[in-house]
Amino acid sequence: MRGISILFPLFFPIITSLAFGTIKFKSKRARNIYLTSTIIINFLFVINVSMTNASIDFHLFKVNDFLDIYFKIDKIGILFSLLASCLWIFTTFYSIEYMSHERKEKRFFIFFILTLGITVGIAFSGNLFTLYIFYELLTLATFPLVIHAGSREALESGKKYLVYSFTGATFVLLGMILLFSISNNMTFIEYGVLTDLNSINQNLILVIYMILFLGFGVKAALVPFHSWLPSAMVAPTPVSSLLHAVAVVKSGIFAIIRITYFIFGSDVINKVQGDFYISFLVITTILLGSLLALHQENLKKRLAYSTVSQLGYILLGLVMINDNALTGGLLHLVNHAVIKIILFFCVGAIYFMTGKKTISEIKGIGKQMPITMGCFSIAAISLIGIPPTNGFVSKWYLAIGGLRADRVLFSVILLLSALLTAAYILPIVITAFFQGEKVAKEDHIEPPLRMLIPIILLTGIVIALGLFPNFVLNFIESITDSIV
Amino acid sequence: MIARNFPLLTIMILLICSFIMPIVKEAKTFKKLSIISMGASVVLNISTLIYIKYDGSFFYRVGHWDAPWGIELHIGMIEIIIGILFTLVASLVIWYSFYSVDTEIPKEKIRFYYLLINILIASLLGIVYSNDLFNSFVFIEVSTLASCGIVVIKDKKENIKATLKYLILSILGSGLFLMGIAFIYSITGNLNMTFIHNELAEIYIKYQNTILISLALFTVGLGVKSAMFPLHIWLPDAHSNAPSTSSALLSALVLKAFVFMLIKILLRVFSLEIVIQYRVLDLLLILGSIGMIFGSVLAIMQKNIKRVIAYSSVAQMGYIFYGIGLGNSLGLTISIFHIISHALTKSTLFLAVGSMMEQTGKNLSDLKGIGKEMPVTLGIFTIGAFSMVGIPILPGFISKWYFALATIDASKLIYLGVILLSSLLNAVYYFPIIINGYFGEENLKGKVFMSKNKPVKELLPVLILTVGIILVGIFNKGIINAINKSLI
Repeated sequence: MRGISILFPLFFPIITSLAFGTIKFKSKRARNIYLTSTIIINFLFVINVSMTNASIDFHLFKVNDFLDIYFKIDKIGILFSLLASCLWIFTTFYSIEYMSHERKEKRFFIFFILTLGITVGIAFSGNLFTLYIFYELLTLATFPLVIHAGSREALESGKKYLVYSFTGATFVLLGMILLFSISNNMTFIEYGVLTDLNSINQNLILVIYMILFLGFGVKAALVPFHSWLPSAMVAPTPVSSLLHAVAVVKSGIFAIIRITYFIFGSDVINKVQGDFYISFLVITTILLGSLLALHQENLKKRLAYSTVSQLGYILLGLVMINDNALTGGLLHLVNHAVIKIILFFCVGAIYFMTGKKTISEIKGIGKQMPITMGCFSIAAISLIGIPPTNGFVSKWYLAIGGLRADRVLFSVILLLSALLTAAYILPIVITAFFQGEKVAKEDHIEPPLRMLIPIILLTGIVIALGLFPNFVLNFIESITDSIV
Repeated sequence: MIARNFPLLTIMILLICSFIMPIVKEAKTFKKLSIISMGASVVLNISTLIYIKYDGSFFYRVGHWDAPWGIELHIGMIEIIIGILFTLVASLVIWYSFYSVDTEIPKEKIRFYYLLINILIASLLGIVYSNDLFNSFVFIEVSTLASCGIVVIKDKKENIKATLKYLILSILGSGLFLMGIAFIYSITGNLNMTFIHNELAEIYIKYQNTILISLALFTVGLGVKSAMFPLHIWLPDAHSNAPSTSSALLSALVLKAFVFMLIKILLRVFSLEIVIQYRVLDLLLILGSIGMIFGSVLAIMQKNIKRVIAYSSVAQMGYIFYGIGLGNSLGLTISIFHIISHALTKSTLFLAVGSMMEQTGKNLSDLKGIGKEMPVTLGIFTIGAFSMVGIPILPGFISKWYFALATIDASKLIYLGVILLSSLLNAVYYFPIIINGYFGEENLKGKVFMSKNKPVKELLPVLILTVGIILVGIFNKGIINAINKSLI
């Protein structure tokens, strides 16, 4: 039963989160130790699973041909689970400090840990049905986090989140039913499950692909299904950063990778020209996200629209169906996660220390919080794609992919969007550093260390990945080689 | 061999116990009598199931008279599964009612309440088991009166009004059913379903119009009684005004018996080959789809929580009609599976809502923040609601999945949209109840944790039902295979 080791990183957080609900901790310190050790142990579990070279799989239970809860480890699953569980550690430290000012910490941490288990479940799902179940569970588990404040506005946003997510899931379900009726197999296999192409109506395949893409696209904030993401910014900052820049939206992306390369296969998508129709939506997503971000006054909302646009980059990398572009897409999936989490952490730190939320309020904040805003600036530079940061590397590969696919238009759009990115992110940096009064060193108000250290470490990662991208790049190239 | 007598025995036990109840003086005794007779029926039915599993389905001659002179019961896998479902749900509802009956029903009427439940379940079992059309009609009439009885028992003005509406429409339905029998009798000269079936196979070409008329009469007659969409108007009033235990029985069992009768008539009396030649199935398909959508739309517009759930029943019955209307064996199988899953889910929902209403009020707005006061009850409600919405592994999801596959089988792809839209609409009215119950600053203000929670022994029957829901979801393959095998 070697396969059972898959279940540890999945169910350990789920069990500990439920236990967390029942345990009464003597002190805050004990609680914090419990939380951090849970997350770190789970990280070790994930590493343990990924270290084994042989492919592991495990049928949890099989009720039917389709109702088969099945987990499988492959490289892309490892990539996603490592990314999630690694960033979760930083967020845990950050949110222990941040959440001490908000109420209902217990409820927050229950669902916070639960979501980790579910995200790992998405990473390790071995077939579309298992993925779908965890995808639905993710919606249900993150919902309480989104409406954490409990205010009327939060409830409204939460409702919007649910409606969008379930509409998306319904599309997915429709696609799954149709897919199952033609293929009878929903296991993720490299190059797809549709082997006998000639006997199947190609238009039907295209329709199913579109339905699934749009369905998962809701979580991936594909325009025109993106508007839940800015609304969900009413959530506390750790939630926004982790869930809405990393876990939830990236789960949508991850699911799209799964259906594109592991259910349909790159050849089939090329043949039915699925990429052609999708790319229009993706280009709209990139440009519209950037344009909408330009005039957001609220910092978190501006970052949210920026996420919409950046997710478009990743999707563009996926739908070009060539290995350079896919490498760029996957690389950007990792890089954007790190960049966006820094940006959110910084904005959260500003709010935590000063209560300021909008751009006009933060004049001169860079002089009060030089380290925080310094990190913010580095992340901003990386978001635009200026070397020596990691954003540059992924955009480079995306642009090369566009040229290789003979689609110069895509590369032009990438450059145009980089300009727009600069236009919406740099004003924050400029307002923070070059306006307002001079501040004496004694008046610096850097956030507490538990918040500051994650920010600094993550910024280090941004630069390290920019200077030495090979470590991640080689891993990603070994993924793309086997599926394109 | 002795197990062959059990189906009749269950009906007899239930009826005889109900006749004894008026004589008994002690309130405790007739409550005991009621639960014991129902429990005994469950046990008898389960032993019959085991018998059928090994020896196959059988016809039982009542009083050793051969058909067509005597009455026959046909007991197959499907019948016995539904029999177990009915008696099991009824016993759990009765068990639950011991704790709630005093608050909902006037003291002097309690005795009659249990009497009526026993008669009702006996007659429903009769409808399910009987292989004789006229015998079924008698049971249908008995069940109509008994179910009106358990609605009116509260003895309030609105109950009487709702019951009158229910009674009139229900009797209209029985009347149509009787006329259907008359037409079919006039061309076949038989009342026994097997005999009619054999007769029809030879003569149906000669009497196409008569068959169409009687088919339409049966469909509409039973459609009224099982709340097919435009004929459902009695249901929300009756189900929302009745005591919550009655609503659970009416929604979970009574509706299902009639729709099962319709399936029996279509399959066993006319046979699918004949039915397919008429447009009756298309009618069922279209009305079912409209019901799936509009039942939910109407549910969204309701303010009273019980009316929401009552309208949701209309939508769920729509699924069952839809499955029949697809006209393939997978569709029929899933319709029967949905009978089972919906019976369990809906009784759970009504009982959970009943206990929440006891503590608060009957409007949706009264249930805000109830999740803090009654977390377990709302948790049970949540599982039921998730099944309705179609969250995987719960039976509601399984039904929807197979309904969709059956739709693809019947190459009616356009109807997939109906199924998905309807499940989304389900989410629209169930989720706000849960969300406002558990979350929201304003909702939770001033509520004390677990303050209104019921003791475990009162919740136990509902908990068992909830476990039943989950088990049906997990073991769906076995149940569906059993139904499918027995259908052909």
